[in-house]
Amino acid sequence: MTLNLAVSESVHMQEEDLAGYVIHATKEVFNTMVMLDLEDSYPLREPVTTFHCSVTGMVGLAGTYTGILSIHCPRSFALRITSNMLGMEVDEVGEDVNDALGEIANMLGGYVKQILSKGGLDINLSIPTVISGEEYTVNSMSDSNCVIIPFTNEGERFLVGLKLRKEM
Amino acid sequence: MANVLIVDDSSTMRKIISRSLRQAGLVLDDIYEAGDGIEGLNVLGEKTVGLILSDINMPNMDGLEFIKQVRASGKTMPIVMITTEGGEDVLKEAMTNGASDSIKKPFTPEQLNEKLGGML
Repeated sequence: MTLNLAVSESVHMQEEDLAGYVIHATKEVFNTMVMLDLEDSYPLREPVTTFHCSVTGMVGLAGTYTGILSIHCPRSFALRITSNMLGMEVDEVGEDVNDALGEIANMLGGYVKQILSKGGLDINLSIPTVISGEEYTVNSMSDSNCVIIPFTNEGERFLVGLKLRKEM
Repeated sequence: MANVLIVDDSSTMRKIISRSLRQAGLVLDDIYEAGDGIEGLNVLGEKTVGLILSDINMPNMDGLEFIKQVRASGKTMPIVMITTEGGEDVLKEAMTNGASDSIKKPFTPEQLNEKLGGML
């Protein structure tokens, strides 16, 4: 699954470059705010839409580009992210986990906005949305393509996805 | 020594900023928290605050209106906006409204120290 040609051409960069920015942004956010070093893997060839015992944070982009930046974590890793960000043990998914995953999605969305639009004048970010559950499916923007990058830390894996469409 | 007010609708973000301020080694008295601009103004009505750190996007009263009202009340303490990448347009408006400076998320305690050390 790749970004479509119209998006790549309009931002004057190859898909690998955009994926590289997302990888850089994710590593910087995690290194700085979560105090975790990440390893990235090759982008997935197929989208992942169904999640088990997971937490998903998302922000939407609207304007000259429409898109969604999402982070999908297993519940155990979401708890670890939140514990690290707060500097205290968090052992259940609740407001703190929702806020933490939403904030990470917001920071990553901010990076993407900056890449697509210097100055950020023509793209707006939505308020973050966080969902979690035993099993859920995320379907969005079926007419656009995406980049999904797996990251790992100490054997735990999570995904960061970016769906984008260039508006006329 | 100074009291600091953190205004952010995310309680988690307030905790993170508060923890980072302590880790930054800044000499602080109390750290007060508010969930939006209205709560922030209420705190300022009751407490003496030497530095404000404020988010921009918040419900009820956002950071831009909050700054405007703080300045309209005659208060002159530094107000530092906490922003994400890509928010330069809103940041310009915040500076016009009376913000003193900004810090972009993600930030390290060292960056907080560097930015805020001279304001306290």
